[in-house]
Amino acid sequence: MIVFAIGDQEYCIPILSVREIRGFEKTTALPFAPHYVCGAINLRGIILTVIDLAIYLNIQPQADNPRRVAIIVESKNGVVCGLLVDRVIDMADIDMNDVQAVSEESSSLSGLVMVNDRMIGVLQLETVVGELVGDMVTE
Amino acid sequence: MTDNKGVRVLTIDDSRTMQGMLRKVLEGAGYDVIQGGDGVEGLEVLQAANPPPKAVITDINMPRMDGFEVIEAVRKLDQYKHLPVIVLTTESDPEKKARAREAGATGGLSNRSVLKVCWRQSAGLRPEGKGAGMSGDMDDILLVFFQECDEQLQELERGLSALSDGDSDHETINAVFRAVHSIKGGAASFGLENLVRFAHVFESSLDGLRSGRIVPTHDIMKTFLKAMDVLSDLVSEARGGAGVDHVRVAESQSELEAIINSDGAPKPAEDVVPQDFVPVPMDFVPVPMDFEPIPVDMDFGFDAPEAAPDLVVSFRPHDAMYERGDDARNLLIGLRDLAVAVEGGAMTATCDTSGLPAFNALSPTRSCLSWRVVLPAAVSEESVHGVFDWVSDVCDFSITHEGAVEETPAEPEPAAIVAPEPVAPVAQAPVPVVAPAAPVHDVAPAAVTNAIAGNQQAPARKAEQVASIRVDLHRIDDLMDLVGELVIAQAAIEALSRRNDGSIQQELTQSINSMQSLTRDIQDAVMAVRAQPVRSVFQRMQRVVREACSMTKKDVVLLLEGEDTEVDRTLVEKLTDPLTHMLRNAVDHGIEKVEDRLAAGKPAEGHILLSAGHRSGRILITIKDDGGGINRQRVLETAVKRGIVAPDAVLSDDEINNLIFAPGFSTAATVSDLSGRGVGMDVVKQAILSLGGRVTIQSVPGEGTTFSLSLPLTLAVLDGMLIEAGESTMVIPISSVVETMMIDHRDVYLLPDGGNIISIRGTCMPLIPLAAELGLSKAPTQEALANAVILVVENESGGRAALVVDEIRDQTQVVIKSIEKNYRQISGVSAATILGDGSVSLILDVPALIGTAIRKIDNRPSNVRTGLAA
Repeated sequence: MIVFAIGDQEYCIPILSVREIRGFEKTTALPFAPHYVCGAINLRGIILTVIDLAIYLNIQPQADNPRRVAIIVESKNGVVCGLLVDRVIDMADIDMNDVQAVSEESSSLSGLVMVNDRMIGVLQLETVVGELVGDMVTE
Repeated sequence: MTDNKGVRVLTIDDSRTMQGMLRKVLEGAGYDVIQGGDGVEGLEVLQAANPPPKAVITDINMPRMDGFEVIEAVRKLDQYKHLPVIVLTTESDPEKKARAREAGATGGLSNRSVLKVCWRQSAGLRPEGKGAGMSGDMDDILLVFFQECDEQLQELERGLSALSDGDSDHETINAVFRAVHSIKGGAASFGLENLVRFAHVFESSLDGLRSGRIVPTHDIMKTFLKAMDVLSDLVSEARGGAGVDHVRVAESQSELEAIINSDGAPKPAEDVVPQDFVPVPMDFVPVPMDFEPIPVDMDFGFDAPEAAPDLVVSFRPHDAMYERGDDARNLLIGLRDLAVAVEGGAMTATCDTSGLPAFNALSPTRSCLSWRVVLPAAVSEESVHGVFDWVSDVCDFSITHEGAVEETPAEPEPAAIVAPEPVAPVAQAPVPVVAPAAPVHDVAPAAVTNAIAGNQQAPARKAEQVASIRVDLHRIDDLMDLVGELVIAQAAIEALSRRNDGSIQQELTQSINSMQSLTRDIQDAVMAVRAQPVRSVFQRMQRVVREACSMTKKDVVLLLEGEDTEVDRTLVEKLTDPLTHMLRNAVDHGIEKVEDRLAAGKPAEGHILLSAGHRSGRILITIKDDGGGINRQRVLETAVKRGIVAPDAVLSDDEINNLIFAPGFSTAATVSDLSGRGVGMDVVKQAILSLGGRVTIQSVPGEGTTFSLSLPLTLAVLDGMLIEAGESTMVIPISSVVETMMIDHRDVYLLPDGGNIISIRGTCMPLIPLAAELGLSKAPTQEALANAVILVVENESGGRAALVVDEIRDQTQVVIKSIEKNYRQISGVSAATILGDGSVSLILDVPALIGTAIRKIDNRPSNVRTGLAA
């Protein structure tokens, strides 16, 4: 699992879904996009959208943080997108049995886990990406 | 085992399946194999070969130049006068053998024996395994076979349609015949019995056509066309596809048999049927050459013969036999194979060296040796004759029976039989003959050109048609991506050059200009590689129409036009389904019943014209039928019944026509097998839209309906205009831009709902503030509108709108990148691209924007509009 912070809260996602981490750059605004979508960027010829996780999770982001980075992730069905986070902290071995479920499977935040006295939210990547691609009609 | 390492062999065969097997067998035995796809190419390869091949294996039945001609041409070459040439045949036709020998062939080899070796090498799998059960090396050859089947079926289709149109050219008939023949041959190699059986009957009936016994009447051509469909079904079944309708196969087969029997002439074909495909042991392997690996590999080193040896074969080769490139060793090997075929059998051979002169008088070109071979009793005399079949004119031989047990002379070890010691000086004979010929080498090509020229003249026309290459699609795709990157890189330099105002400015601009034209050239070239004539799809449609006809009991002729129009390959593939559906629809709904047609004074036979052509940078495909036209009354009634439109809606004719594209619409009162499931035209429209295309309908009651599909030439690159709106740069496809201008505020009219209309030279159209429309900024004020820049854009059907933008930046070529792949569809945006500075820019979907704008002005109930959504 890779652990990152948004505001004061820490979250993690499976490391294997991460393709790369890059500095945040200017995005191109997309019409009719959900408010949590920053816009599109070019990743060596592939166009992908960046999600501002702070807005998505409804958290107060750290203001004007120069260390903001985009974690480029690939979901199980091959969709690539970027997650804008405040900073990447480290990697952690997390036993999935230690995760305490906080909501049902399909929710974007599936559980919480304690690592070194820190509480880390386990993000359900498939749900986030699914929401991004899923609800098609935005007439 | 003989050392074959690096010995070069040329194989000439138009069947890639066979070529694959030959390569496998020969390379498996250590040979260096070079190949030629037909006679002409084979000769070219032969002349260019360095080092020259030591033997040639050639097929007989080939386009452009057949095997006999190949042999004759080879014999005319000084350098290759004595080159061993082996002919490859499916059937054991004595006439063919004789002709091949006359032409100067050295020996013959049956396809089946090649196959046997091939299978033996493939882990002992038996050919009965049938398509699916195979594994390992044979898989790739099987794959080649199926690819080839597809090509042959296309060739067959083309030939048969030409015949139906009254073209009874001999070459066309031959091509048709060859197509079926090749499928049969390949299928036999893989033991696909159903396919072989049917192809054989088909081939026999076509043979009647070829020999002129059968006249291609309308009915007979219909039977052939149907047989072709069945054949392609059988091929796809063999490939592991859907099962075949066996009733149809039997029906078609009996129709074909009826044709065969009707020609009156007694056909020998029937009795060939069972033998031809049953995996019998080789019936025609007279002279396996020294590069035949089996004889050497097989373990024949049993004990000395115990049974009484009965058959004594004596033979003495003439000088001529060696000159031909043959070798006594081959005869010995052939005889040994016969002996080994009998269980526990072996042979003994004695060489008579009495004719050998003193060593210093030994001439490499003189044949001095003779042999006496004792074979087991069980070996039949005919089979021995078979061994000598190819050399009977250049070798004395006799067969005698001997009751008495011979004391075995010489050493019975097999090594002695193979060991070339006594034979060696003679066996090498052809080589010294070749060597002195080398200085003449320069002259040789000219000689051959002359030799070939005579043969080439007649079928040259055909040659131009089939010049094509086979390229793996993903490689081209990679190349395409690279070129795309190149375009981007070029744009980057261009952007840099603008910023730099130093002295290098001009040079930089110049080199960029040349790079620009270069880039475009590369792009065009790559595009050309991907281009493919629509023929392949169009021809498939013939079948679709035929089947639709037989199900609806209508008689419809499909005419094709512009099949040579080239389209990007991905488009070609994606067109098949929509076209299939539209044609079925045209037959089912478009063309009226025969009675109705006659009543309307039309010919009973319906006509559908499928045409393709280029029109202003797009491909236009039309499907035009001469049926009853769209019944607007019924369409409207149905639409109302299905709740697609409101009962009181007033729609124009065009809008009613377009209702058939609405989801869940189907006019057919009875749901037929073909169409009428109500998914049809809706799906068609979606498919065409997803290709960046548009569909329009024109329909005249009583005269017919025309569907026009307009598609982009390529799905990869686009000429666009760069504009600024709401702080982002966007791309508008240049093809949809009509003109650009500054607004004159006097031409703008405010509508009650806040929208604007602009009148340009008397034509009114909606004014779309682009940034606001896309939700990127607030609606501009009237003052801001007054002096804005607008682009007048147009959709396929001529609807126009004016887009208000902040600035027009540039005109450029952009590489289309999908947004949907990693995101979702955005209304008003068709795709995205990457600009020179690496940022993402959106490509606008102009027709969608116009559609939305027109809908806003349209004050009809919304449920009317959903059916019309563009």
